[in-house]
Amino acid sequence: MNVNPKIDELLNSFIDGEFSPRQQTEVQRLIAHDPQVGQRLRQLQKCKMLLASLPFADAPAGMLENIKASLEKKALPYEQPSPLEERQGRRHLFVRKVLAVAAMVGLMAVLASVIYSIVTPSAPPQTPLVATRTSPGPVEMVKPTLPALAAEFNGRLELKTNSFIEVDASINKAIAENDLLNCITLAREPDSSEYVLVCSRKGLSVLMADLENIWARLDSATMLIQTKEFGRPVVVNAVTPQQIGEIAGQDSFDKSIEVAKDFAALNNMADLLPGKEVLTAINDTTSAFVIIPGIPKPVLTGWPKTIKESTTQPAVAGAKVNLTITVIAGK
Amino acid sequence: MTETANINIDDALLIEQCRLGRSAAMERLILKYQNRIYNVILKICANPDDAAELTQETFVKVIENIDRFEARSSFYTWLFRIAVNLTLNHCQKAVRLQTKSLNAPDDDHNGDAGQQLLQEFLSDDSSPDPAAIAQNKELCRIALKALMGLDDVHRAVIVLRDIEGMDYAHIARVLGIELGTVKSRLSRARGNLRQILETVCDERKSKNRRIAK
Repeated sequence: MNVNPKIDELLNSFIDGEFSPRQQTEVQRLIAHDPQVGQRLRQLQKCKMLLASLPFADAPAGMLENIKASLEKKALPYEQPSPLEERQGRRHLFVRKVLAVAAMVGLMAVLASVIYSIVTPSAPPQTPLVATRTSPGPVEMVKPTLPALAAEFNGRLELKTNSFIEVDASINKAIAENDLLNCITLAREPDSSEYVLVCSRKGLSVLMADLENIWARLDSATMLIQTKEFGRPVVVNAVTPQQIGEIAGQDSFDKSIEVAKDFAALNNMADLLPGKEVLTAINDTTSAFVIIPGIPKPVLTGWPKTIKESTTQPAVAGAKVNLTITVIAGK
Repeated sequence: MTETANINIDDALLIEQCRLGRSAAMERLILKYQNRIYNVILKICANPDDAAELTQETFVKVIENIDRFEARSSFYTWLFRIAVNLTLNHCQKAVRLQTKSLNAPDDDHNGDAGQQLLQEFLSDDSSPDPAAIAQNKELCRIALKALMGLDDVHRAVIVLRDIEGMDYAHIARVLGIELGTVKSRLSRARGNLRQILETVCDERKSKNRRIAK
């Protein structure tokens, strides 16, 4: 039997009821007129019947349980977190972020301190510097010796004179007379001498009183007092023995500095005035310049008139003063 | 079959409850369709173990993707589309699904009886009774073997039509093909099936003639 695919399609659609009633009628007419088509129709109907008669196969027992087990197995790794767990997770993440930032800041701070310690210059000297002169020429700053470290007052007195020999001799004599040889370290150059004096305040006052007579032969007398702040020293120009005694005689270093500043200002002002009338008037007890009714005459305080009497006491006892006296021959 | 027949719950309601995570709805949905799905898959792949595995895989995939079901087609169509696609993919990969040659020696002692029944069934004069066919296991076995002789795509179409009872439009939606393609494939599938069955009968006749000689 020749098989026509088009006829087969028609017959199969007819068998399966896929045609409209009009189409069904057309196919029935075709079948009635052609026995071969009718035969083919029965063959195809038997095929359909054979398959439709095959027994229905139920799913094996336990299919539902197997599906559920399979679903649970797949769901476990992707189990959705509960809202509470999600919140806790977010909080944990936030804390971790904050800790990470804090650790980073701390690390940067440590790094910055290390870099700063490397880059910045070394720390300033921990001990005060005193002015000293070891050789002719400009004054250079050196560290004081151990006795100076123990002193409460550190100063340098620069004396310039054309009468170098006489002044130097007078200083030597005054040191010897006041029993201060043990307190003196002397460095002598052809045109300069340096006396490093470490003694009590009283010993210094006595020495200064004895040195008063050399002041007339001096061209200049300058005192430099190193401050604790390691800044510029207080420079007292045209300093007098009385002023030195008063500066060194203060009971604390701060007071000495304050007094030195006062004297520095006073001396500079007096030096600027023509004829130096102020200082002269202050020193002249008979002058009427400063006698104003109601206002007492200004006096220089702290100058002990009886210093000479105490020279018998050991000058080195309770050494708290370090004064370097430099005598320089004038040009 | 009896289990699923008793379950008559609206699919949409079950799907909605399933989306809400209610396991009872999921179970009823599985119970409602598991036998029909298994039966179709078994008829296509012809291996009970593979059919069970593919049925399980189908439902797992359906439940996992239940949120993506957009109801543009019926759940029944969507479910069968997944099942048939999985089965056809499996058939393409599995060498063991190759049809056993009908010429191979039959290990069933009742093979001759089945072939005789088939010959009677195919004769133009007979008017077979479907109930009698269903009770004849040998004839069913030959029919299944003949079905396995078809190509996968033809087998899928004829199973969906003659076993699952889908109309052409439904088959087109399940397989994702045109209606005309369904008609032509079904026509070719039935024609080929008839040819295979006739070949089996011819082989029996030849065998009997050899024995007579």
